[in-house]
Amino acid sequence: MHISYGVLSFPVVAVGWCVTLALLAITLRWGTKDRGIAEEIPKVSVMTGAFFVASLVHIPVPPTSVHLILNGLLGVVLGVLAYPALFIGLTLQSLLFSFGGIDALGVNTMNMGVPALIAYGVFRTGCRRGAPMALLGAICGGLAIFASAILMAICLITTGKEFVDVAKVAVASHIPIMIIEAVITGSVVAFLAKVEPEMLPVDKEDERR
Amino acid sequence: MKAIRIMSLLALVLILCTAFCPLTSAHRVYVREQVKEMQIKAWYGGGYPMAYADVTIYANSTSGEELYLKGKTDKEGMYYFTPKLGVSGYRVVVEATGHRAEKEFDLAGGSQETAELPLYMRILAGFGYLIGLAGIGMIFSARKLKKEYGNK
Repeated sequence: MHISYGVLSFPVVAVGWCVTLALLAITLRWGTKDRGIAEEIPKVSVMTGAFFVASLVHIPVPPTSVHLILNGLLGVVLGVLAYPALFIGLTLQSLLFSFGGIDALGVNTMNMGVPALIAYGVFRTGCRRGAPMALLGAICGGLAIFASAILMAICLITTGKEFVDVAKVAVASHIPIMIIEAVITGSVVAFLAKVEPEMLPVDKEDERR
Repeated sequence: MKAIRIMSLLALVLILCTAFCPLTSAHRVYVREQVKEMQIKAWYGGGYPMAYADVTIYANSTSGEELYLKGKTDKEGMYYFTPKLGVSGYRVVVEATGHRAEKEFDLAGGSQETAELPLYMRILAGFGYLIGLAGIGMIFSARKLKKEYGNK
């Protein structure tokens, strides 16, 4: 899922950085607006840690190799703060595991962060309408991966026509990950809803109303 | 008696011939070693081979770097190539579905492996950074809280 250093063309890299910096500013402000950041830090740190390590769980899908991403889970649990969390996690991954590159960090954060925000939006509206949480979590987990794969494919194709085949393979190889993450996110959400409902951003807002 | 003398003379000439032969035809001789095949192995983190990945090999000679070969790895993530005679420095780029790795090596000096921390150390380092960042965030929020309470 990570796009490596030196693959993308300059305009794509620039757009990625612009989107990421703008979204970082917006999400940080929005996420800490009504609740102080102190309350969020432990949760964000734990989830960033999970994201950071999940990328080491590799699943061989010939002819490539894919790994867990968990951006849907981050979106569901952290809300808009998933974006900065993913940014930190991706920075650490690129520095320590050499996944992706520093120049592609903007694009990679965009590719994983925007779907996380979408997942959060879907989860919130779904919960308000009273859909079962576990099912919603599963849908969000799968949806985030799907959106990430599509975004990555767009980035690759806009860089060069020669990447069309690569993009197709990349999207197809993420189908298993989609299913796995749907299961993981669904079960984590079900567990949290039962044991620690405060962890989910939705409940808090509903209680307040 | 005469026959023996002739025979020994002939033998002497022969011995002298063989003794002087290398000297008389002493052209300068060169030897060059050649590595016939290089093996390139590419794999993903976790040990899964990078099958059918694009390989690009650049030859590093004194005149600069130039594209030498292009190819694909096989099912096991292996790629074989014959080095260019007289060129020992190479840069190999392996690319597949957005994954990319690069390696520079010298046939004369062997592979220069950059020292890398073991995986568990890198994971620990990552958590260390995270805890540090969380700490910095906490300091800022604590400062904010202090201000708020100080004003009250």
